Amino acid sequence: VSDALAAWAVESVSAERMRALAAVLGDPNPIHLDAAAVRALGLGDRQINQGPANLGYVINMLQAALPGAAFAGLRVRFLAPVFAGDRAVAGGRVEARAAGRVDAAVWLDVDGGPRAVEGTATLILPPD
Amino acid sequence: MSFDHLAGTALPGGDARISAAEDRRLVEAIGGVPDPSGALHPLWAFVAMRGGVGVTIPELFALVEFDVADGPMIGSTELEWRRPLQAGEAYRVGGEIVGVERRHGRRTGAFDLMRVRERLLDGDGAEVATAAHAFVLPRRGAA
Repeated sequence: VSDALAAWAVESVSAERMRALAAVLGDPNPIHLDAAAVRALGLGDRQINQGPANLGYVINMLQAALPGAAFAGLRVRFLAPVFAGDRAVAGGRVEARAAGRVDAAVWLDVDGGPRAVEGTATLILPPD
Repeated sequence: MSFDHLAGTALPGGDARISAAEDRRLVEAIGGVPDPSGALHPLWAFVAMRGGVGVTIPELFALVEFDVADGPMIGSTELEWRRPLQAGEAYRVGGEIVGVERRHGRRTGAFDLMRVRERLLDGDGAEVATAAHAFVLPRRGAA
């Protein structure tokens, strides 16, 4: 079994939303708040999206593709940063489906950039 | 400098209770859709434990003499849910430092990989979710 999950996109990653998420997370890391801090560290020239936000995009994709499914597991590696202004696209592919359980490969890609997140997810489908 | 002595160190722990309003703020920040059933966005398994484990990100990294202004990144995360988290439900959070390893990357140079494990329990002490994170702490100029 191998079928693609519908992609879920953020057309332009927002620095304002990074600031809002930093408040929710209690994360004062300046690379999410200040482009000058990113430049000073030699990491680029725009604010860097929080890892949990990138993970959230993958979760949003799974929620949209598998409505009503319960999350059981999600294992990801964060491979590259996502910057303010990037177009980020979360995608996935069902690798196995049995007894109401779905195992999927998941990822987050950035237009014109390297893969940002890669991993696997396990969800429990709602009863028919 | 070695931080081997930190392996197994328990984090203080604490309580977590997420309101529907907090869930809306998180969901809005990541462009998602709130669940009308009252279930929290699954990302709370990450956020509630980080927020409720009794040590902030700067405090956690200070244990290995790392300043949050030096650009820490998250390397990997593993989340497991036993059931969906619910708005307004009281949870207890616990966790520990798994270990701290010095690594060297061709592009990145020296960095420490700090592994942390966290768990979220309900009022009956039953596990609701667990998290395991590896944080990348660049050690610019270190051997």
